[in-house]
Amino acid sequence: MTLTDALARPRPRDAGHASPMSLWRLLWLELRRNAMPWMFPLLAALFVFDAFRSAMGYGPFWDLRASALENKLLPDFVAFVAGVAAWMGSRDSRRRTRDLVDATARPRWTAQLTTWAATTLWVAAGFLCCVAVLYGVTASQATWGGPPWWPVAVCLAELALMSALGFAVGTFFPSRFTAPLAAVGAFLLSLEGFRNAVGRSSAYALLSPTTYVPDDDTGLFHHYLPDVSIAQLMFLIGLTMVALAILGLRRAADAGPQLRRAAAVIAVAGLAAAGTAIGLIGTARTQAYGTVIPALHDAANDRPIPYTPVCSQAAGVPVCVHPAYRNFLPDVTAALAPVLREIASLPGAPARVDQVVVNDLIPSNGAAITGVPPVFRLPMPATPDETSFGQNAVSFTSYLQATLVTVFVVGAHGFVTLGPVGGTPAQQAVVLALLQKARTATQTGSGPGNGSHTKADQVAAAARRFAALPATTRHAWLAAHLATLRAGDITLAQLP
Amino acid sequence: MNVEIAGLTRHFGRNQAVAGVNLEAGPGVFGLLGPNGAGKTSLLRMMATVLPPSSGKMRLLGREPGSYGPRREIRRRLGYLPQNLGYYPSFTVVEFVEYFALLKEMPAARVPAAVAAAIERADLGDKARAKLRTLSGGMLRRVGIAQAIVNDPELLLLDEPTAGLDPEQRVAFRALLRNLGERATVVVSTHLVEDVGAACTEVALMNAGKIVFRGTPEQLTAKGEGHGVGDAPLERGYSAVLTEARS
Repeated sequence: MTLTDALARPRPRDAGHASPMSLWRLLWLELRRNAMPWMFPLLAALFVFDAFRSAMGYGPFWDLRASALENKLLPDFVAFVAGVAAWMGSRDSRRRTRDLVDATARPRWTAQLTTWAATTLWVAAGFLCCVAVLYGVTASQATWGGPPWWPVAVCLAELALMSALGFAVGTFFPSRFTAPLAAVGAFLLSLEGFRNAVGRSSAYALLSPTTYVPDDDTGLFHHYLPDVSIAQLMFLIGLTMVALAILGLRRAADAGPQLRRAAAVIAVAGLAAAGTAIGLIGTARTQAYGTVIPALHDAANDRPIPYTPVCSQAAGVPVCVHPAYRNFLPDVTAALAPVLREIASLPGAPARVDQVVVNDLIPSNGAAITGVPPVFRLPMPATPDETSFGQNAVSFTSYLQATLVTVFVVGAHGFVTLGPVGGTPAQQAVVLALLQKARTATQTGSGPGNGSHTKADQVAAAARRFAALPATTRHAWLAAHLATLRAGDITLAQLP
Repeated sequence: MNVEIAGLTRHFGRNQAVAGVNLEAGPGVFGLLGPNGAGKTSLLRMMATVLPPSSGKMRLLGREPGSYGPRREIRRRLGYLPQNLGYYPSFTVVEFVEYFALLKEMPAARVPAAVAAAIERADLGDKARAKLRTLSGGMLRRVGIAQAIVNDPELLLLDEPTAGLDPEQRVAFRALLRNLGERATVVVSTHLVEDVGAACTEVALMNAGKIVFRGTPEQLTAKGEGHGVGDAPLERGYSAVLTEARS
């Protein structure tokens, strides 16, 4: 049949009504012709070189690696999703199809929601592919726990919000420049704008997913606290609902009473959800093992997670770590053994090494030698700032040795880093000497902390002198003077 | 009557595009002629329910489009081809026509057959899977016609439908118009008087927002007798009516 031989066809008696099947088909068409998949090669490259690489720099700990989703992958995605959503939102104006679409029976809002949904589904699919790769690799390496899904849910909610905002901007300000401007705006908003708007130290900054960074060993000793994630979800979903409802209310005159009511209800519900989230996050308080929102907090999450430590021997001393660190136990024992040999049988020398939870609220961050017999309580960092599992074994070894020696000589004085050593000059000199004997002085930084260069030179010279003593002499001196040294009553000149 | 219009006006600021149009039309092909800026496109957009009138009354397919329910019902039974057809370049012909079939709320089960039929009627069968960005202007016009007729409309509004079509396609399109006009009201706005002569059962001529002539093509031709401007009889009638209206 062609134009010339077209035959009259029977007219439909029922003009039809919006059916779910029609909506699915419409969504399918939008999915097939959405612009988002064109962004996937760029997003894949960003994922590999940014989020994935950063995550692989952490130890294979589920919650720590999942933090790369919020802090790396999400900022990478939001710019693209906002830009593409703005592009799709401005489509009918750019392509001059508004009259065509307006002359159809289906309310424009539902057509717009279909286009938005297709864009958002593509974004979600791309994001989940990245999550699958990250979690898949982590699953092959981790020795404890399982994948956390709260960060994934929060990221998806933020992507939906950025998609809705971008789409709304594209609809209200249709132009070829809208999409790039929306992309840049979303990127700045997600990274800096929100935090600067509410104040970096404000509890309200927690509403931004990229603000929330978990502790190194979150989810190992204590449960991941979902309180903040729940508030974030309420906030993000609420704003998404408001943005989408505004699209519907904008064309209220052209929509039916049912759709107008639906848009109004969605807007009110969204505002209520976002407002409630803001109220809840204002009550957030930081506790030892995470941020707690009393109204959302489940007390069951406060109970420690039971586990059986895995142990080995270092210079005859049992060294026990959390099973999540099982793969690093040989590195830990190899690092601690030379120091444990050096301080063996001295007063307060640890008879056992136990890994403890990282706790930012305790001045020593948990590192201490306590109890009878003495137990070295060792918090394990896992972020590249402090050490680098798998990337820089020397740094990790140095960190462990420096922590043990410093805690042994100086006491629990703060989280040990690879920089200058704290304590009195005499304590610094002894610490440096012991570390030199453990062959790590060059990696731990050879200079003492505070003071002038002259003082630093004096400490370094004393450390060299002390390290040069025969082991038995050094050991005997420490056995006799360790208590006085720890009390800070020995001067540099009194060191042998 | 599928179209009942009384005293319809439309202002754009100080400019009055449509100035009190009265019109009634039943099934058949209705030609809307007139010079540029006569108000044809504004009148068609109001009939397509995308442009609200400034004043006047309008009933389409027995319903008043002012309120939501009747307007939606009208739109389900409406086909519209705008003067400047927009399109989505990445869609194929089938997808584009199907997209608008779904927006017109056709029952999902009927859509595939209706899309195939509309594409065939627009003589685009061999381009059904081609992306719109690859089509020529004339083919795009036929895609616009296909989406307009996909729901087998009772009221079909075509604004310059033959622009860009080659002579062979224009002849074929006129046949399609006659066929559609057997059951539906087809309103065709055009500059091309030969289209009107070949396909329309009735014609109106607009000038400065008003209808200055209403009758059959033969009556319009008769108006041109003795008038010197124009190559064809219908063109002479068109010129004669316009000259009279302007004077």
